[in-house]
Amino acid sequence: MNHLIIAVLIVLGALWILIAAIGLLRFKDLYSRIHAATKATSLGLLLLIMGVAVYFGLWDVTLKSVLIIVFIYLTSPLAAHSIAKSFKDDNSKKML
Amino acid sequence: MTTGVLDIAVLIGFIFMLLALLLAFFRLVKGPTMHDRIVAMDLMASITMGFILIYSIVINKSLYVDIAIVISLISFIGTVAISSFLRLKNTKK
Repeated sequence: MNHLIIAVLIVLGALWILIAAIGLLRFKDLYSRIHAATKATSLGLLLLIMGVAVYFGLWDVTLKSVLIIVFIYLTSPLAAHSIAKSFKDDNSKKML
Repeated sequence: MTTGVLDIAVLIGFIFMLLALLLAFFRLVKGPTMHDRIVAMDLMASITMGFILIYSIVINKSLYVDIAIVISLISFIGTVAISSFLRLKNTKK
């Protein structure tokens, strides 16, 4: 029963990250790509880290997992906002 | 060693992660602007975190969760550094 929960969490997390990669490849605009790559990756990593915390079951691993989840959910919108602001303020729009 | 449901789940997770890494690498090669490449690098760091988290289940060592903390810190700092560098460079004049 415990292994079944871990298996479902791992497969769902990997599936969400795969969906994020498909969205990053298939969308046509930069803002749509940021939208796909930020939110789906946050949810996928949340599910994977929950799977790892359920698998080990120790208190220190659970504490580190909570810290990783809080850090990801604090910093992932900041990184996406920084990229979008840097693209909006770009005057040259140079094709590098 | 009998193959339980967890081994099949780990295998499916590795396959999905590898496909996601390949698609993000296509966007990294093809991306029209520099900002697309930054987004692709951010996604590839997250995929690497997922790889290491699944691998910590495979080899049954809880020490590998620390690597995920370090990768998330370095990925955030690198993304903000490159995007703010581009913003300062392109809006100078």
